Amino acid sequence: MPDKGDVDDLTKEFIAESQEGLDRMERGLTELETRPEDGELVGEIFRVVHTIKGTTGFLGFDRLEKLAHAGEHLLSALRDGKVAVTTELISGLLSLMDGLRAILVLIEETGGEGARFSDEDGALIAELALLKGQTPGTGGSPEPGNAEVRQVAEAGTVAIPISPSTSGGLSDKTLRIDVSVLNRMMNLVGELVLTRNQMLQSGLAEASFPELARRLDSVTADLRETVMQARMQPVGNLFGKFPRMVRDLARTCGRSVRMEFTGQDTGLDKSLLEAIKDPLTHAVRNAVDHGIEAPGARILAGKAAEGCLRLKAFHQSGSVVIEVSDDGAGIGLERVLAKAVERRLVTAEQAATMSEREALQLIFLPGFSTAAAVTTVSGRGVGMDVVRANVERVGGSVEVESRLGVGTTLRMRVPLTLAIVPSLVVRSGGQSFALPQSALVELVDLPTHDIAQMVQQIGSAEVYRLRESLLPMVWLDRLLGLPPCETATQQGHYLAVLEAEGCRYGLVVDDLVSPEEIVVKPLSGVLREIGVFAGATVLGNGTLALIVDVGGTAARAGVKPVEEEMVELKTIEATTEKVREISLLVFEDRSRERTALPLSVVERIESVPIRQIEYAGGRAMLQYGGELLPLRDEGGVLVEMKAGQEHAVVTVLICGGVDGERKLRFGMVVRKVLDVTEGALLEGDRAVNGMDLALVKERVTVVHSESEQSKTAGWREVA
Amino acid sequence: MRDAEREEVVECHDESNDEGEVVSLCSFYTGSGVFGLDTRKICEVLGERDVHRVPMAPVFIAGVVPYRGDVLTAVNFRALLGMCEQTEKSCVLVLEDDDAGERFGLVVDAVGGVVTMSREMLEANPCTLEPRETWLFDGAYKLRTGLMVQLDPLRLHPSRLAETGLFRQRINGGTDASTDRR
Repeated sequence: MPDKGDVDDLTKEFIAESQEGLDRMERGLTELETRPEDGELVGEIFRVVHTIKGTTGFLGFDRLEKLAHAGEHLLSALRDGKVAVTTELISGLLSLMDGLRAILVLIEETGGEGARFSDEDGALIAELALLKGQTPGTGGSPEPGNAEVRQVAEAGTVAIPISPSTSGGLSDKTLRIDVSVLNRMMNLVGELVLTRNQMLQSGLAEASFPELARRLDSVTADLRETVMQARMQPVGNLFGKFPRMVRDLARTCGRSVRMEFTGQDTGLDKSLLEAIKDPLTHAVRNAVDHGIEAPGARILAGKAAEGCLRLKAFHQSGSVVIEVSDDGAGIGLERVLAKAVERRLVTAEQAATMSEREALQLIFLPGFSTAAAVTTVSGRGVGMDVVRANVERVGGSVEVESRLGVGTTLRMRVPLTLAIVPSLVVRSGGQSFALPQSALVELVDLPTHDIAQMVQQIGSAEVYRLRESLLPMVWLDRLLGLPPCETATQQGHYLAVLEAEGCRYGLVVDDLVSPEEIVVKPLSGVLREIGVFAGATVLGNGTLALIVDVGGTAARAGVKPVEEEMVELKTIEATTEKVREISLLVFEDRSRERTALPLSVVERIESVPIRQIEYAGGRAMLQYGGELLPLRDEGGVLVEMKAGQEHAVVTVLICGGVDGERKLRFGMVVRKVLDVTEGALLEGDRAVNGMDLALVKERVTVVHSESEQSKTAGWREVA
Repeated sequence: MRDAEREEVVECHDESNDEGEVVSLCSFYTGSGVFGLDTRKICEVLGERDVHRVPMAPVFIAGVVPYRGDVLTAVNFRALLGMCEQTEKSCVLVLEDDDAGERFGLVVDAVGGVVTMSREMLEANPCTLEPRETWLFDGAYKLRTGLMVQLDPLRLHPSRLAETGLFRQRINGGTDASTDRR
């Protein structure tokens, strides 16, 4: 028997193993309900309980052994086909699992299994015995066991929000790693040591130094990747907790729900997995409680009585997307708008002009809930805003899509890892700061001579007029009480447009340094309390930089997630939408002629030395990222440049278009990039040389349209 | 003056060597005072370092310093004593808080050396001490030329300092110069 308060290694190992086993059992049980005939599943569940029973006997935990023993009896009866799978049986087994888990947690915390609650076990054991003796199909008769089961099941649902945090003690601190990954890590560390030794011996002046530096670089990169890989956990680990929860929820809410999973193997950093656990739980709970209708209502609506809840995870452009979708009632827009007006989140006029998408995003506002009645499960007004805040805290985003009567999809997008964040290093008040790229919307140059006309004042507040919307301005140096930088006052500032937690504002900084992938180091509690910094990092040049907490800075500066303002902005968009406004990248190719491309087509803007441009069959080509891009040079920029300077640099827009199933890319040589702006296409003028014209800032601009890209595509295939 | 003190400290070291209960202290200087910290709580003496200032941090925080892959919060000892900022470079000590498992820095003027003192030489804080100092100081060792004040490393932890609320404000700004006896 281990001493109280002290858990020895053997017991620790036993607890971790048993927790894992119980996780498997949980998954197995919910699956068993859908496939009652599966003998293998029963076998697996039996083995879990059997192992626990065997090991506890050996370790001397009597209470645990007794309970496991009772469970084993029932399970062996089930395995031999003496009892049939019923809802009551599954509930009984689930409460057995809860009981086992509770004792394990108790052992982990106190070192002993505790004698105080022994009576409770007695009830559970009696219930299990009853289930074993009970003949299948008599669920209708009012037996004492039956009522108890329901009670236990209800108790289970109430405990759900608590149980993940309590049961997570030891298993959260331990992590299973593939031995091969660990070996690779060790190899790389060995390599690192060898490289260090060589570096120490060689000294800076030696010719081999650059070679060593390169090797160090590659070893570091490999090591980083391996460690990240070790931290990656399949999302399935998190998904596995849901079937049980959904089952219990569905029973309390009177729903019938089937779950489907896709992409369980998608890896996500362990800490992130923890971070999205609560938001995801909330989303699933919402889907069952509000989304999926009662079976009766579903049949009336012409759907299957059983609702379907899909959890899907997949990778998309460097982040992991997790979708929770149901085929329920969907979100009633009228109800959302009515509620928003009632709660004074928007005015009635604003509500009237909102588009469907905008109206849906209202559910993320604090203090919003459409549940007709407050249920035990949800509908207390703390909801989607917390989900959004939690996901945004880890650098992710949430959006919702819904069609009335068809279903709702909640989409969470989270970065792969938290530890390394792409960011923009800026300077303000003589210090370096890092802005996370995820919050950065755009950058605006504020030259000193223009500042007076670009920055306008409302009382004491300064605002920047960004494409017809007023953006509150926050001066980073003033906010932090740093002395203003002299050179910046002369040369001008930059405005970083940031967006987080529903706030959108412009942060004025002195200078932009460079985009950098930074390693986030946490700050101590005292500094976190300031609320403006999310961490610190060591920059490439060895100096420190503080990472700006975009949401916290907004709060500190008094920028509120003023929805009115957003709505105003949106009403403008809505009214102009009729004229079909699109974002355009405006540039100059032929001299004095303004040309534009839809911004969605442009992937990157590159500066390319003219020497790198090659010719094949009289056509200009550019090797770009292992791909050969045909270049379009409508303004004859290349010819003009060629004659002039050998070392000149031209600006190339890397454009991508999709033609059918093939993805096509091409480069466009331009003289100068002018602006990114909204423009209205002139519908009537399509005929002019087969080109679209647009009015951009009251000036006629030629727009290369989609049709032209397909022309390029055809041309490319010939080439 | 500082050199004289250092000699004194070394002398004491010899005297107390054969005493029964001894403690090993790292001595350092701030303003005109000599202070001692238990060496077991000190991870490393970093020497002169640039401390990166953190805007809007409490007055007693000197800033942050990089240390072995972590970014440590450094406490400005001068500010704790209510002295004005020192313009010259100062020394950074890295202390470890076993309970919290967290390391933090302490910015002092200069570091002396390791001395072993007998516990018998320790005198309790005088009852007339200001509350801030009572909180920081943990008695003093009598040296021949003066006193070496013993500090409680745990109480120097930034979050503890913040909790007490004693150091939240710069202590009546005007008196800064007078407290600095140099």
